[in-house]
Amino acid sequence: MFLTITEFIGRFHVLLVHLPIGFLLIGLLLQWISSTEKYNVSKEVITVIIFCGMIAAIFSCITGYLLSLSGDYDEGLVGWHMWMGISVASISFLLYVRIKFGQIDIWYKVLSVALLVAITITGHLGGSLTHGSDYLTAPLSDSTDSVVIPRKIIPNIEEANVYGDVIQPMLQTRCYSCHGAKKQKNNLRLDDPQWILKGGKHGAILNSNPEESKLLKRILLPREDDDHMPPKQKPQLNEKEIALIHWWIDEGADFNKKVKDLKQLELIKPYLLELQSDHAEEKKAIPIIPTEPVEKADEKNLQPLIDKGAIIIPVSKNSNYLMANFVSAINITDEDIKLLRSIRKQLAWLKLNDTGISDSALSVIGQCTNLTLLQLNNTKITDKGLGLIKSLNKLQSLSLVGTKVTAKGVIQLQSIKGLQSIYLYQTGVNKNDWPALKKAFPKTEIDSGGYVVPLLATDTTIVKAPKAAK
Amino acid sequence: MTQKELHLQRLVNEANKKALQFYSRRHFIKESAMGFGALALASMLHSCGLGSSSTSNNIVFDPAHPLEPKLPMFPGKAKSVIYLHMAGAPSQLELFDYKPDLMKLDGQDCPKSLLEGKRFAFIRGVPKMLGPQAAFAQHGESRAWVSENMPHLATIVDEITFLKACTTDQFNHAPAQLLVHTGGPRLGRPSLGSWATYGLGTENQNLPGFVVLTSGGKFPDAGKSVWGSGFLPSVYQGVQCRSEGDPVLFIKDPNGMDRDLRKASIDAINDVNQQEYKEFKDQEILSRIAQYEMAYKMQISVPDVMNINDEPDYIHEMYGTKPNVASFANNVLLARKLVEKGVRFVQLFDWGWDSHGTDASLAIDVGFINKCRQVDKSITALILDLKQRGLLDETLVVWGGEFGRTPMMENREGKPNPFKGRDHHVSAFTIWMAGGGIKKGYTYGETDEIGYYPVSGAVTPFDVQATILNQLGFDHEKFTYNFQGRPYRLTDVSGKVIDEIIA
Repeated sequence: MFLTITEFIGRFHVLLVHLPIGFLLIGLLLQWISSTEKYNVSKEVITVIIFCGMIAAIFSCITGYLLSLSGDYDEGLVGWHMWMGISVASISFLLYVRIKFGQIDIWYKVLSVALLVAITITGHLGGSLTHGSDYLTAPLSDSTDSVVIPRKIIPNIEEANVYGDVIQPMLQTRCYSCHGAKKQKNNLRLDDPQWILKGGKHGAILNSNPEESKLLKRILLPREDDDHMPPKQKPQLNEKEIALIHWWIDEGADFNKKVKDLKQLELIKPYLLELQSDHAEEKKAIPIIPTEPVEKADEKNLQPLIDKGAIIIPVSKNSNYLMANFVSAINITDEDIKLLRSIRKQLAWLKLNDTGISDSALSVIGQCTNLTLLQLNNTKITDKGLGLIKSLNKLQSLSLVGTKVTAKGVIQLQSIKGLQSIYLYQTGVNKNDWPALKKAFPKTEIDSGGYVVPLLATDTTIVKAPKAAK
Repeated sequence: MTQKELHLQRLVNEANKKALQFYSRRHFIKESAMGFGALALASMLHSCGLGSSSTSNNIVFDPAHPLEPKLPMFPGKAKSVIYLHMAGAPSQLELFDYKPDLMKLDGQDCPKSLLEGKRFAFIRGVPKMLGPQAAFAQHGESRAWVSENMPHLATIVDEITFLKACTTDQFNHAPAQLLVHTGGPRLGRPSLGSWATYGLGTENQNLPGFVVLTSGGKFPDAGKSVWGSGFLPSVYQGVQCRSEGDPVLFIKDPNGMDRDLRKASIDAINDVNQQEYKEFKDQEILSRIAQYEMAYKMQISVPDVMNINDEPDYIHEMYGTKPNVASFANNVLLARKLVEKGVRFVQLFDWGWDSHGTDASLAIDVGFINKCRQVDKSITALILDLKQRGLLDETLVVWGGEFGRTPMMENREGKPNPFKGRDHHVSAFTIWMAGGGIKKGYTYGETDEIGYYPVSGAVTPFDVQATILNQLGFDHEKFTYNFQGRPYRLTDVSGKVIDEIIA
C-alpha cells in the first residue's frame, strides 16, 4: 500500500516540474529587464517569485524521487536528471538568499546564469526520459522509427533452439523497446532468460500452469484491454507469432530445448516450416523498382514529351525512379523517344502501348538500364529492335502484345535473368516455337494469350421455377 | 418603348450600377488591405506548418488540374482497380464456401444457440436449416472449391485469392453497400474510387478517372452515394456511363452546333468562371472549369473507348457480349477497355443477387443460378483477357457483395417463403481478388462447419479497403483528408492490410 501511495504522489512530478521552470525563468527575466528605467520592477516582487520557484523546485525534487522509485525509467538518465534537479533547487535557494539578504552583485549574476543552464539541462533530461532520448532530434534525422530486424532463416527447424531461434527474435522485435536494456517498464526485462524468469513488478510472468502465465495472458487479452501487450498503439504480434509463443509456454517454456524435443501440434507445423523457408525468395517479385539509389533526374528536356501528353512522374514519393506512360500522348515518334536519354538512369517503368514508335526507338530504350517494366503493345517494333534491348538486365516484365516479333527475336533476350513475364499475345510467335522458347526462358512465365472461354450449354439456358413450387 | 423593353432597360441599368459599386474605391482599398493581410497571414501560417489545411500528406489538390497523375506513398503494384459488386449479396454457400455438414442438417429446425441474441433482416421465429443447393468440386492446382454455378470461373481459380471469412456489421443493403465502398454505413463519405482518384489522379487525361457502370435493371440500394465523392472535391465522384446508346447522356452536340461552336461556348463559359474565381477564390470554380474542359475532350474520347462494336468477334465470343444489348457482360468488356486506356478505377454494379426466395427470380435454386450464368463467362474472360494483355499484374480485380447469406432458409415473418432462399448474413461471406499483386491460387480465412461464423482469418470491409489502398501504394492510416476539423480516412479508425494475401 505504501508503495502505491508514494507512486501516486510521485506521479504529480510530471505536473509540478513545470512550476519551477516558469517561476524561476520569469524571475530571471524580470530581474534582467529591471535594469532599465522603463521596466523597473520592485525587488520585493522578484524575491517572492524566486521564493515560489525555489519551493516548487524542492517539491519537484521530492516527487521526482518518489516517481523514480517505480523503476519505469532508464536508470542512468534518471540519475543525471535527479542531480541536475537538485542543483536547480540548490541554486534557486542560493539565489533567494542573495536577493533577500544581499545585493544584486556579480555573484547574483553568476548564480542567475548557472540557474538558467541548470534548468535547461534538467528539462532536456526530463524530456528524454518521458519521450525517449531521440525525441528531439528524430525529425532531423532521416531514419524511420520502425526498426526492421531482418529475420534470420533457420536452415533446419527441427534442430533449432526453440527459445533462441524462434521465440527470442519475436520478443526482440515486439517487446525489447519497453522491456529491454534501455527501458524496463514495470521493472520487467525480457532480453535474457534470467530476467524473464525473474518477472516484473507484478511478480513472475511464467507459471507452471501455462494458462496462468502472465506473459501469455497479457498477449491473449483483447487489443482494447488496457492490460493487453504490446500496448494497442504499438506494433502487434501476429497470429502466427502468438501461436508459437503459446506453444512454447504450453510445452513448459524451456530455454534450452530444441524444436524436435517438443510436441508439435498440427497448427504449429506450418508456422515452424515457414521459419525455415527463405521468405525473401518467395517474395522476389516485390522490388518492382531497382533497389539501388539513383540521383534525381534532370527533367528539363522532357517538356516536349509532356506537351504531347506523355506522363512522366516519379514512381512514388521519396523515389527518384520515374515512370513514363504514353497512353494519352499523341503523335509520338522515334524522334521524341530520344528525349528519354536524359532520364535513362531513372526510368523504371515505360509504357509505350499503341504509339507509333518503331525499332529505332529501342536503341534509346536499350540505354535505360534500370527499366523493370516495359510495355510495347501494338507498336511497329520487330525482332531487330528486340536485339537492341538485350542489355536491360533489370527487366522483369515485357509486353509485346500485337507486335510483329517472332520467337527468334524474343530468344535474343534470354540473357536477362530476372525476366519474370513476357506477354506474346497476337505476335509472330507461333505454336511450333513454343518448346524452344520454354527452353530459352526456363524461369520466365511466357504468356501466349489466345485464351478461349468456351460456350457451355448452361451459359444460355435459363433455369425456370419448378411447376410444383407454385 | 414597350413594357418589356422598359423592364429590360431597368435590369441592365441595375446590373451596371451594381458592377460599378462593386469596383468602388472602397472595394479597392478593402481588397488590397485585406488581400495583403491575408497573404501575409497565409505565408506565416504556412511556415508554422498550418495553413492550406484542406489537404494533407503532401497530396496536392490542384483545383485547375484535379485529375493529373499524382504520386503514391510507395510504389504500388496495382495501377487500376476493377471492382465487381454483385448488389444484393450473392450466396457464398452456393458458390465458394462448401459446407457438406450443412447438408446433413437440411430441413431440420435451426438450433436455438444460433438464434440467441441474433437479429435478422427477415427471419423470425425458428427457421429451418438449408443445405447447399449446388454441387461443388475442387479445381486447379490450388484445389479451391467452386460450385457448378460458376463453371467458367472454376477454370481460373489459380489466378484468384478467396477471402472466405469476410464479415460486416450491417444487415441491410444500403448501409452495408456504403460500408463496403465508403468506409461508413451512413451517407456523406467518399467512395473507394474517389479516394483512389484523389490520391493518384488518372493517367489518361482525356477520360474520367473513376467510371461507374451498372446493370441488372436497378441501381444499388444505397443509390449514387456508393460512388459519391463525399467531402472530397466533387470532381472525384464516379462518372456513371451507360452501356447502350450514348455512354454519357448529352455527350453529343445538339443539331446545328458544330465542334468549333461548342469549343467557343465552353471557352466563353470558362472565361466567366475564371473571372468569378479571381473574385471569390473558390476552388470549386477551378474544378468546374476543369470539368468543362474534360467534358469537351470526352466528347471525342468517351464514345470511342465506350464502343464495343469494333471489338473483334473472338473477343465477343470470349466475353459472351452482344453489341447494342445492355448487359453485365458488356460492362465487363468496357471495364477492360477503360483500364487498358489508363482509367484508374472502374466500378461495376450488378443488381439482382438478393436471393430471399420470395419469388422465382430471387430463389436460390432458380433466379440465383441465372444470375450466376449472366456473370460467370464474362468475369472469367475479363481475368484471362487482362492476363494475356499483360495488364492483370497491375490491375486489381475485386469481386463481392455487401454481406453473405444465412445457412438457414428464410421464413419471412415466421412463415415459409414460396421458394428456397436465404436471409442476409453479416458474420461470414466470400470476396475474391485477382491480379494487382495479390497471391495467385490462395484461400484465406475459414468458416465453421455450417458457414455461420469465421473460424480463422476473419476480415472486415475496412481490412479489404486497407488492402486495396495498399496495393495502390497508400498507407491507409496516413492517407487522410482534413474535413470538419479532423483528418478523415477511408478506413475510419480501423482496418489492417491483409498481408497474408499479398504476393
